[in-house]
Amino acid sequence: MIKKIILITSVALLSSCAGTTIQDVGDKFLNLINPSDPVVEVADLGESEIILESEYVIFSEEGLALLSDEELIQVAKQQGIESMVILDSDGNLANREEIVSALTQFGTVARLSDEELIQVAKQQGIESMVILDSDGNLANREEIVSALTQSETAARLSDEELIQLAKQQGIESMVILDSDGNLANREEIVSALTQSGTAAETLEDGGVSFILYFSYDDTEIDEKATQIIIEHANFMMNNPKLFLRLEGHADERGTREYNLALGENRSLSVKEVLGLYGLENRIEVVSFGEEQPVAFTHDEEGWQKNRRVEFIYQK
Amino acid sequence: MKILKTLALLLTLVSTTAYALLEVTIIKSEGNAFPIVISPFEVVGNAEQGATIANIIRDNLNRSGQFNALSSSNVITNKIDFSYWKNQGKDAIVFGKVEQISSTVFNVTIYIYDIYTKKRLYGKTIEVHNSGIRRISHFLSDKIYNILLGQKGAFDTRLSYVTVTSDKVLGKIYQLEISDSDGQNARAVVKSPYPILSPAWSPDQNKIAYVSFQNGRSEVFIKYPFMRVKPIKIPQFDGISSAPSWHPNSQGLVLTISRKGNKDIYFYSLKSKKLDRLTKDVAIDTEANFSPDGNSIAFTSNRSGQVQIYIKDLTSKKTKRATFEGRYNAKPVFSPDGKALALIHRVGKDYRVALLDIKTRDLTVLTQNKLDESPYFSPNGGMIIFATNRNNKGVLFVISLYNNQIVELAQKGVEVREPSWSNYSN
Repeated sequence: MIKKIILITSVALLSSCAGTTIQDVGDKFLNLINPSDPVVEVADLGESEIILESEYVIFSEEGLALLSDEELIQVAKQQGIESMVILDSDGNLANREEIVSALTQFGTVARLSDEELIQVAKQQGIESMVILDSDGNLANREEIVSALTQSETAARLSDEELIQLAKQQGIESMVILDSDGNLANREEIVSALTQSGTAAETLEDGGVSFILYFSYDDTEIDEKATQIIIEHANFMMNNPKLFLRLEGHADERGTREYNLALGENRSLSVKEVLGLYGLENRIEVVSFGEEQPVAFTHDEEGWQKNRRVEFIYQK
Repeated sequence: MKILKTLALLLTLVSTTAYALLEVTIIKSEGNAFPIVISPFEVVGNAEQGATIANIIRDNLNRSGQFNALSSSNVITNKIDFSYWKNQGKDAIVFGKVEQISSTVFNVTIYIYDIYTKKRLYGKTIEVHNSGIRRISHFLSDKIYNILLGQKGAFDTRLSYVTVTSDKVLGKIYQLEISDSDGQNARAVVKSPYPILSPAWSPDQNKIAYVSFQNGRSEVFIKYPFMRVKPIKIPQFDGISSAPSWHPNSQGLVLTISRKGNKDIYFYSLKSKKLDRLTKDVAIDTEANFSPDGNSIAFTSNRSGQVQIYIKDLTSKKTKRATFEGRYNAKPVFSPDGKALALIHRVGKDYRVALLDIKTRDLTVLTQNKLDESPYFSPNGGMIIFATNRNNKGVLFVISLYNNQIVELAQKGVEVREPSWSNYSN
């Protein structure tokens, strides 16, 4: 699978960068793509938007240093690590260095092979997020790269910073302090932040926070999946006003009506675990069967992405 | 002998509605069909429908797989060159006349002759309104079918199906459409941005039951396609409601309703507006289908740990497993004589339409496809219509049970799925 990152920057962003010419900003972005190469091609800046596209956008510290705080936040958003951004009381970026380092890390991680990525994911305790297709290849490379970027960075944070992030992400209840007031379960928090990062990010717009995948004609929740659902249970207990909609889906194989029933059973399996925490009244179960696929190829790679339960938090 | 031929349908349609038509293509044809000649109907006065009627009849007969119908280049009237057609290897000849009576009324006359005995097998004149030209063509096709084969035809019937159009601005548009049995004369009766599935004609052809996600989850509705009334929603509980199938008397239907997570089959009476639970099992029970006598239902269940088909006798209340071959058998529909089930059978990694003899348990796989869905019998039992995937697109196939001829019904750039066939018209 080839990873494609497309940077789309609107004029609105460009014009918000006071004191820089549009040409400057354009150069900055070109520099970002490949800082060591001379600028060979300048995008038509008269266009209403600048689209820079390459197989890999490799981030270097030098390239990122050229960006303003706003631009950096924008790039962080694009790379799915928006949740790491900390703003001070004036709304300015409080942890610029951290974001630059995270994005640099992103560049490094993005260059890893699938096997290396899986290895690193294991080391970082986010093995459960790895999805393999029927050929044993990594099916969700982008997701893993983004998670690892967050995990690597989170690992470098101080205890205080970690606790602060945990508060922001609503997993404060997981924080355990020892008798001296120090963080006692650092590793757990790092791993939780890495995985819940995605959940919290999209919360505001009611989008899909998390997707749990299933085997063919299967509704079983294995141990790893149970762990993840327990994290969601904790998250819900810490956010008592949130409701969770569980949308069950099936792949296209077999009949539509049976798949509709199967999708409901998948959602119900998840609800059962959450029910152990007394959350059943805040959960809505829905099935779409095979009617709303996310992958459209008629092969195992596509099918396995479609056998899923989507977690959608609602206020 | 396999002949690959394509029938381009260049019909001059009487109906001027601009709805998208289903394109009809014979993609697999077998020999041994009844050879017949259809002459363009003789036109008297200002009547342009002579060729239209003959073409509809010819295409109908060919689609059945039981005829090899050709149009004659000349209009045949009373003088028939029997020896010529005998040498051409034809067994029967059809010709007729369209006569204008008033600006909108016509007399349609049809004759069927046996070429060997030179005898007239049928002759009749029918008065018809301009708007009924297509209908009379289907009616006459059924007559020919019946007279030459001694069986009931299924041409004067209707289809229902779902189309899905992907629009760049509007996203997906789902349409519940109805058409004549040849896919022509199509019109949308429900249009929605949310998925529609499992439409089923009531046997009296007044109603269509279907599943819609318009309220965020699956619900069963009843639509009166020929009346200006809102669809009626069938009551449900806290989970899915789906898979409707009509009782033969059109006064009730079976459907799947999930209650506290348990999916069972219920019967809903349109008269009493009450739900009756027909199955009680913690497993998934769904896709129920009424037997033609209304005395039993076939349904899909995973109660054995595998997805298999069961038949419940509604009088004795006894449930028996019907399928034993393979690990996945689902979506059963009874043949009109009640002796067989069409179903979806998994072969290796593929899902194919198969025919089960209920008594002998013989299972015959009918296709070589990968992703067949939703089989449905023609009301005479001679054909099965089903959805499948061809060149990465949803299309309908009609397979002749006489010789396995396959006809494709497709629409350009549009997914076609979830077919159902109506009963005979009254």
